[in-house]
Amino acid sequence: MKKLLLAVLTMVMAANFAFAAGTQEINAAAESGDSDKVKLVFTSWRTEDIERMNRINDAFTKEYPNIEIDFQPVKDTEYDAQLKQSLAAGVGADIIFLRSYDSGYQIYKTGSLEVLNDKIMDLKGFPSAAIAAWSTPEMETYAIPSVGVVHGVYYRKSVFEKYGLSVPATWDEFMAVCETLKDGGETVFAQGTKDNWMLYEVMFAGLGANFYGGEEARQNLMNKDIRFTDAGFVEAMERMKDLQPYFPDRFEGIDYVTMQQIFGTGNAAMFMGGSWEIGIFEDLGGLEDVGYFAPPLKAKGDTLQYCFHVDAGIGMNKNTKYPDEALTYMKWLASPAYAQLMMDELPGFFGYTPGSYTLSNDLAKQMQSYVASSVPTVRTVWEKLSAESPSGNELVAEAIQKMYAGELTPEEACKYVDDGLAWYYR
Amino acid sequence: MLEARKKHARFLFLFIFPAFIIYTVFMLLPILNSMKYSLYTGDGLIPTEFVGLDNYVRLFTEERYSVKFWNAFRNNIKFFVIVTLIQNVMGFFMAVMVSRSFKGNKFMRKLSFLPTTLSVLVVGYIFKLILNPYYGVFDKFLEMIGLESLILPWLGDPRTAIYVVAIAVSWQFFGESVLFYTSGIDGIPESIMEAARIDGASIWQEIYHIILPSVLPIVGIVTILIFIGDFTQFDIIFAMTGTRGDPGYSTDLFGSLFYRTAFASSERGGWGTGMGATVATMMFLIVTVGVGIFLYFFSKKREELEK
Amino acid sequence: MINIKRTAQRGGLYLTMILYALTIVIPLFVMIMTSFKTNAEIFRNPFGLPSSFNIDAYVNLFVISNYEKYFLNSIGVTILSLGIAVTLSALAAYAISKYKFKYNRAIYIYFVLGLVVPIKLGTIDIMITMLRLTVYDTLWALIIVYIAMAIPLSVFVLYDYIKMVPEELSSAARIDGCSEPGIFARVITPLIKPGLAAAGIISFIPNWNEFWFPLVLIKSKDNYTIPLATGQLFGQFDTKLNLVFAVLSLATIPVIVIYLLLSNYFVKGLSAGAVKG
Repeated sequence: MKKLLLAVLTMVMAANFAFAAGTQEINAAAESGDSDKVKLVFTSWRTEDIERMNRINDAFTKEYPNIEIDFQPVKDTEYDAQLKQSLAAGVGADIIFLRSYDSGYQIYKTGSLEVLNDKIMDLKGFPSAAIAAWSTPEMETYAIPSVGVVHGVYYRKSVFEKYGLSVPATWDEFMAVCETLKDGGETVFAQGTKDNWMLYEVMFAGLGANFYGGEEARQNLMNKDIRFTDAGFVEAMERMKDLQPYFPDRFEGIDYVTMQQIFGTGNAAMFMGGSWEIGIFEDLGGLEDVGYFAPPLKAKGDTLQYCFHVDAGIGMNKNTKYPDEALTYMKWLASPAYAQLMMDELPGFFGYTPGSYTLSNDLAKQMQSYVASSVPTVRTVWEKLSAESPSGNELVAEAIQKMYAGELTPEEACKYVDDGLAWYYR
Repeated sequence: MLEARKKHARFLFLFIFPAFIIYTVFMLLPILNSMKYSLYTGDGLIPTEFVGLDNYVRLFTEERYSVKFWNAFRNNIKFFVIVTLIQNVMGFFMAVMVSRSFKGNKFMRKLSFLPTTLSVLVVGYIFKLILNPYYGVFDKFLEMIGLESLILPWLGDPRTAIYVVAIAVSWQFFGESVLFYTSGIDGIPESIMEAARIDGASIWQEIYHIILPSVLPIVGIVTILIFIGDFTQFDIIFAMTGTRGDPGYSTDLFGSLFYRTAFASSERGGWGTGMGATVATMMFLIVTVGVGIFLYFFSKKREELEK
Repeated sequence: MINIKRTAQRGGLYLTMILYALTIVIPLFVMIMTSFKTNAEIFRNPFGLPSSFNIDAYVNLFVISNYEKYFLNSIGVTILSLGIAVTLSALAAYAISKYKFKYNRAIYIYFVLGLVVPIKLGTIDIMITMLRLTVYDTLWALIIVYIAMAIPLSVFVLYDYIKMVPEELSSAARIDGCSEPGIFARVITPLIKPGLAAAGIISFIPNWNEFWFPLVLIKSKDNYTIPLATGQLFGQFDTKLNLVFAVLSLATIPVIVIYLLLSNYFVKGLSAGAVKG
């Protein structure tokens, strides 16, 4: 008994020391803040990018030796909840990744973001569509548009070669490719439906856009000129249904991470994914075998409706302890030097910063090559239609998941979304 | 017992006060205060605009709220029933067996409690990984013993997911029931058991006439503890199917509903702090009523058996 | 005849016990073994022992994350909160059980009520209170909540231990001129040491594993506890399976070791509670 008590006592002492040391450290850092080193906390939902972001930030610290950047991402599914709470509580990070449109705008409305119009002059040169994604209706901009991503189809070059297949340009060709691969006994897609956001963000918004009418339809939907039950959306939904026979066994149980692993380890011929996944496939090895093509067209000669989504902007906490240093860093983030670094380190992330850049990654180049001859659009119901709960984003994802589970037909899936959006039409 | 005289009153107060105040301020008052917030609405973290019972009206009349609420209610009942069946019924029989004397009896008792010491989060993650349709060990095992026809997309199918989650929780807390019941069985005087055996009572008669009546109060406690735990369960959902209770909210329990509505951004299912407090208050009511019913039921049963 | 039946029963009993033991051990065994495999091996050979015990995952984990910091945080929070909770509960239990006044029973029940109060449902107010106390996002927020959470069970357990201390001992000390706090410190405390240990140990498990409050109250990485770190790292490493399993193993092994060392305390303390309740 005595021994146990002694052990407990020792542990208490040890813990006390650890604690004391911890608080002293923090205090010391806070006190010496203005004189020498300042540490800015940078938060994002990109937990995959810690090492890559650290390399980018090292370049900044080299230039500004007194400012250190501590990149502290939070798992993407938890990010918004954590960010909202920490900002409201006044313990938020100094530099903040923001999603576009309403997600970011809601954060702005909590009054915790700095307005950047007069602070970062370089913003004037950014494309206005990108600026709009992080601005209030009064055009007060609260984030630097930083990352754009595209959606399309990854494929294994070796598998395509084996069956003598070429990259499909139209949906019919795409289906023919799927059929050939299936007949050959291949796992056609690495797709699963356990994480339903994929179904909407990548598949419906990416591959469906050519069928529902792309950017024009998206605008009409927001203006209430058309509804989600209209023919175009139903057709896009039907095309999604076309893909189901080519999913792997028990796709319902396959989550996002497993999809990446299946395709990344070469166990499926194709994967409908986003440009941000290049890095993951690189880490899983064998990137030279991975190819990419844009969403197949409805008919030959159509213009590609390319979902070039405004993914991430970078905002600055109004209540930061180090406003000057944070602004210095923000200005650097708005510079072409950063944009080039980002595109080198994080292939598949496309910058909005004006300037001319070289893409070092072949897949990224491939993705970029479709832009010139396409109409850019963003995810279907991301803007305005996701401002309230239940958000359009959630609804479309749920509807497709239910459709694949056999609970809804494509028409019913569209109706499910439209019903859920009742708040938008009130 | 010492009469509390004036000179002791000071110490009485001093001794009780610190525990009393911390316990009251950080455990009981928060629940009452949260009820207060359910009468307010507002965009910020602290809701400021008084709206009376409006949040409750909206929760039950607006379809976007009520559908999710009743869905979580149904799921929670399903979840509770499965867990109770496994932990109470199977746990009881397992306890009867564990309390027999056999070689390794002590070891089994120790081992059975082991999973209970793990964190629910870790258990959820382990099961999620084991059940992964692509590299999970469980499906591979079924294939190996020739039962691949039984393989299902366990956590991906809305029809099976809630059962899988309930089984994971039961796996973890099964040992707790076994421990409680064995200690109850151990408390039965050996002479009674011996007498029954001499009279030639079968094991079933022994269970029904001797063991069951004497552990019934423990059945009550275990049921109530499971009930409270299940109706506020969150960790297992977070780990296995995410805070939205995938697929399609089929595993959404009150715990995850509360977290999402109170703390998530509206784009991800948040309803604002006021509505979150409303959900918490409803949960509190349901838990309180449920515990009341169980207490009444078990004390009735006890009286019956004591007659 | 009877013998055959008995043998069959015995056989059935042992078979059930072996199967039961396997369902407990196999998931944990798979977890720990997998953490020693390379990523490729996990796909190739999900069963069985790793071809070589590869500790890269653990090394990586400490390099990439601040795991030792999270570990210290958890130790600090657990020990401080349990230490304070048990001390305060012992004082309260002493006063309730040894002084006679009007509200003994009522106060006792008031404390014990906490055993069935779902504290999670007060989270919104706890969060706001922590903000006002300016301890939000610090370990102190967790310590305070965990003290409150451990008080009901500790009072419940200690009340009985203190009750069993013979009245004559404190009376004798009182006659010798010992003050009331003196009696508690010098007469009662030495006699209820096993009770103090039991109270601390029973609350240790839920406290160490608690995930909800760090999720809501802790935002900075520097203040993560093990459960929160487990949740966050699981998301972060998700494509590196061996790292994921290493994270889970590290969260599990300390508890298992402590349980195996002190299992008698757990079992006794908990079953006593069940029988009395």
